[in-house]
Amino acid sequence: MDEELQQLEAELKQLRPRAVSAGLRQRVAGELAAVRMSRAWAALPLAAALAVAFTWWQRADEKQALAEAEPSQPLAAGAPQPEAQFKPVSVEKLLYDAKDDGAVTLDNGVRVHRMREFYVDTVTWRDPQTNASLRWSVPREEVRLQPVIFQ
Amino acid sequence: MADERTHESWKDWFQLHSPKLLLCARQWTRSLADAEDVVQEAFVRFWRNQRSLGGEPQALLLTSLRRAAIDLARRNDRRERRERQADEPDAFFEPLAGADDRRLAIEAALRRLPAEQREVLTLKIWGECTFEEIARQLEIPPNTAASRYRYALAALRRELTAADCHG
Repeated sequence: MDEELQQLEAELKQLRPRAVSAGLRQRVAGELAAVRMSRAWAALPLAAALAVAFTWWQRADEKQALAEAEPSQPLAAGAPQPEAQFKPVSVEKLLYDAKDDGAVTLDNGVRVHRMREFYVDTVTWRDPQTNASLRWSVPREEVRLQPVIFQ
Repeated sequence: MADERTHESWKDWFQLHSPKLLLCARQWTRSLADAEDVVQEAFVRFWRNQRSLGGEPQALLLTSLRRAAIDLARRNDRRERRERQADEPDAFFEPLAGADDRRLAIEAALRRLPAEQREVLTLKIWGECTFEEIARQLEIPPNTAASRYRYALAALRRELTAADCHG
């Protein structure tokens, strides 16, 4: 390749491709956020099943320990079995992402400023008798709309 | 937390590579809007499904980009709609401080190149691909990629010299 072409090649390399638009970045962010949310929802049944299984296992373990500790005391026939008494003991709200969509037009033509916040709410219950606990996490999207007023 | 870090890391990655991906996509699409659609589709697919695969990420993305562009071109109704919107060309490059006329002249000359030369030139200069990588992307022999590149540079030089002469 001659020198002139090499100079042109060098000149071309100095040009920087134009940056992508903010709109495209938002669209990609939206799609990737949707994937994350759907994954969180997909994990929810598994988390719930694990929590229930853990509780059942813990209660079964305690019953067995109780039976081993008092082998000579048979349960009275017809005696009421203790029921699980789960009570909520904590509620946590974790903000893990936020998006500012800027000014958008709603279906009814109203211009608003839209902010979206993504949370995971976690509620924990505990049975004081057995100390078994159950934790429930739910992903949640909160959308806030603020009317845009032109002056 | 790992998921959070991963989520953040796409932004850095996208910030760094998306301009050249968009420029490559422009060579295979008819408008900026089409190119943005293609970049979005290819990048989301890559980040969701292909990131964990072995190999060079950029090569995977370019392949994904080209396939998305070909798929888009096949959707005729959409393409026609985009074509109607594409009357005015959008800039390929960032403005050059103090020499923007030259940048405009280069862009105009690039647009007049035959498509097969322009895509090779774009992949080589701004996509930073080797001739072997370009050959794999475009399914052509490496020698053909290299000769198209030389023809493209020569044609660009002719165009720019003519533009200089005509002031």
